Amino acid sequence: MSRITIGIVDYELGNHASLLHSLKKLNYRVLVSDEPSVLDQTDVLILPGVGAFPMAMKALKEKKLVSYLQQQAQINRPIIGICLGMQLLTEASYEGRYTKGLGLIPGETIELAEPLSHIGWNNIDRVNSDSILEGVEGKVFYFNHSFAYEGPSSYIKFTANHKKKITVIVRHGSVVGLQFHPEKSQAAGRELLNKLIIGMIDA
Amino acid sequence: MLKKRLIGMVVVKNGWAVQSFGYKKYLPLGKPECIVENLDRWGADEIIVISIDRSKDNLGPDFDLLQRLAKLGIDTPIVYGGGIRSVEEGVKVIQVCADRICFDALLHSNLNVVNELAASLGVQALIGVTPLSLNDEEVELFDYQAGTTKIIKSDELIKISNTVSELLVVDWRNEGQPDSFDFNLIDRLPSFNVPLILFGGISTVKQMQALFSNENISAVAVGNFLNYKEHAIQNFKERLTDMPLRTAKYENSIIEIS
Repeated sequence: MSRITIGIVDYELGNHASLLHSLKKLNYRVLVSDEPSVLDQTDVLILPGVGAFPMAMKALKEKKLVSYLQQQAQINRPIIGICLGMQLLTEASYEGRYTKGLGLIPGETIELAEPLSHIGWNNIDRVNSDSILEGVEGKVFYFNHSFAYEGPSSYIKFTANHKKKITVIVRHGSVVGLQFHPEKSQAAGRELLNKLIIGMIDA
Repeated sequence: MLKKRLIGMVVVKNGWAVQSFGYKKYLPLGKPECIVENLDRWGADEIIVISIDRSKDNLGPDFDLLQRLAKLGIDTPIVYGGGIRSVEEGVKVIQVCADRICFDALLHSNLNVVNELAASLGVQALIGVTPLSLNDEEVELFDYQAGTTKIIKSDELIKISNTVSELLVVDWRNEGQPDSFDFNLIDRLPSFNVPLILFGGISTVKQMQALFSNENISAVAVGNFLNYKEHAIQNFKERLTDMPLRTAKYENSIIEIS
């Protein structure tokens, strides 16, 4: 197989440096762009993000990336959303004001109640088995969020426990959402990212 | 279960990492990038980089430093503090390098900016810094820019804490002095809605065990005392296995220290 190319969708929210370095350490070729013609040259799209949902959707709309990402999901292109990127995959969020999302995974993004935020390192627990996520059970990853996924249990692959269960990995076909930051989760994060990319391409 | 965090603190003054003693004496350590790289390699749970002269001298955030840190490509979350005056600067700090930002002066000069930062970045990206001390059982806030202290009431502290996701409480008088953190300070603090990160004079396993056992404390930050020994993070974690901490890992090994 030729060298796998990853496309980081650049909509100018959050920093891409850590993700870029993590992917390069894993020996992937990486393109960072907001141009569909560039992103079309890649094998897997990653939607990163740090920030608030409404601003992120506004940025995606301004860059005309909403319909592009929806079309890519329709043709079963592997797409990974990270943290805010995962929330953007859902149908809508209640962060600040009700805002429609990309709608690539059924469900919505809602505010965490007590406790208000989920910040730090937490281990994850399997809910539904998935061949591309084998060996991930119990691993510890870095979280930093105040909103989380709520939706049909069939899409929920892993949860984390923080006084209540929080959905942390969702999958709908070729679209996967990670609520944590694999690029900031040291060796465990890189292992998962690698496993996921290879698994999604082979699926 | 969410783990407690052992955070590496890097204090930067005039572009150099320094050992800081009570917010008034400083000894140079070297390039901040080198300290940050070590903490990443040693498996710190988070790294806080604070450029202490940026607000005082109205210089804004140290973007040159942030760009150098970004180039390191480290796998550990970075929190940056120093000089953030506006929403634009806070957002840019995140875009350039940091995962979260922290601030002290802004909490007292302009809470509107803090609220706007929360709307732009999400409240989880914000940490409030409060240098505190006890004087005759009263909690006092240290104003680093003016070099003065004043009594701060519980409702004011709670108001500040409600604008951020975590509150970094600094025992500024004991900062840099081994085994000197003032535990009475915790007892005098009000009940917050957000977890606390504690820093200043924390250098022993016994202190960390006591602090990590407090359910309101999410993290302990250590500065000077991580620089006296190689692999200091692992050394602490090896002796804190009874605490809910993430296991330390060496970067080039898959062997877990347990």
